[in-house]
Amino acid sequence: MANAEGAERIAETALRTLGGWKAMLRLSAPAASGSAAEELGLATPQFQDVSLGPVAFRKAESTAKLLVSASVVKKIVGAGSGFDSADVLFETAVGVVLDGVVYEITDSVASGANSGEYCWCLSLKAPAR
Amino acid sequence: MQNAKDTFYEVLRERLAALNPDRTIVLRDLMRPGVLVEENELATDVATPDCFRLQWTKSAADVKGDLPMVTMQCEIAYETAGTAVNAGMDRGRMLAAMDGELLAILNEAPQKTTKMNYAGTALGKAAVVMKTNVWWGGLVFGQAEMKNDRVMRTATVEVMSYQEAGEQ
Repeated sequence: MANAEGAERIAETALRTLGGWKAMLRLSAPAASGSAAEELGLATPQFQDVSLGPVAFRKAESTAKLLVSASVVKKIVGAGSGFDSADVLFETAVGVVLDGVVYEITDSVASGANSGEYCWCLSLKAPAR
Repeated sequence: MQNAKDTFYEVLRERLAALNPDRTIVLRDLMRPGVLVEENELATDVATPDCFRLQWTKSAADVKGDLPMVTMQCEIAYETAGTAVNAGMDRGRMLAAMDGELLAILNEAPQKTTKMNYAGTALGKAAVVMKTNVWWGGLVFGQAEMKNDRVMRTATVEVMSYQEAGEQ
């Protein structure tokens, strides 16, 4: 466990010093119960942005990758957010907000060491222009 | 056209809930009958399994009569990985069950309903009954296809309605 925590701290330090980007995870608020309007696209849900802490962002042509500290992801999942796992969190999130642009999350992969995750790599898709 | 699309979805939703109350999905923390309209939900690359996903594709208008008759094609996609307790080996049976449910709710008489205007529901008002009907034709099943560990199918149905004066 100590080694896993060590890897997590090293990843966080690397992201803080080498990454330096600030990203927000955009989540939709729970749907309104009994409202036909939301199911029919007449009303939009409320959104909330959650900080992903220091991240590293790389964009080349149509592909973009975002490295996120696993400790931040654990805090979001474990904060009574209602998400069963990080996978569910990323699958249901609206996207990632970077410099005011909302990127869609197309894939999420965890990197681990010593039976613990230390970093998440998110594949992002930029909005069509 | 939008009122016909909304009405058709609501009919499917109600009939599915009555036929199989266990066919549910959880979307944004809310449990609801297992049917959705993709264009009304948040854009995502993740296909929700074990539910019916409606997509509106082609449409055509016949303007010969007093009111234009609009025919819209609705593609209903669904997929399943089977159940975990059976290691997914029952995915064919689960797909057949979904085939049966879709056929039952669309073949249930009457194959028509009064068109409704749901625009007011965004402001908390009740849906408004319109003057004409929405009706639909027979269901055409597409070929079953494998998609990773899931088996999927797309069925197609034509939905018709008259475009009333002033209707969007």
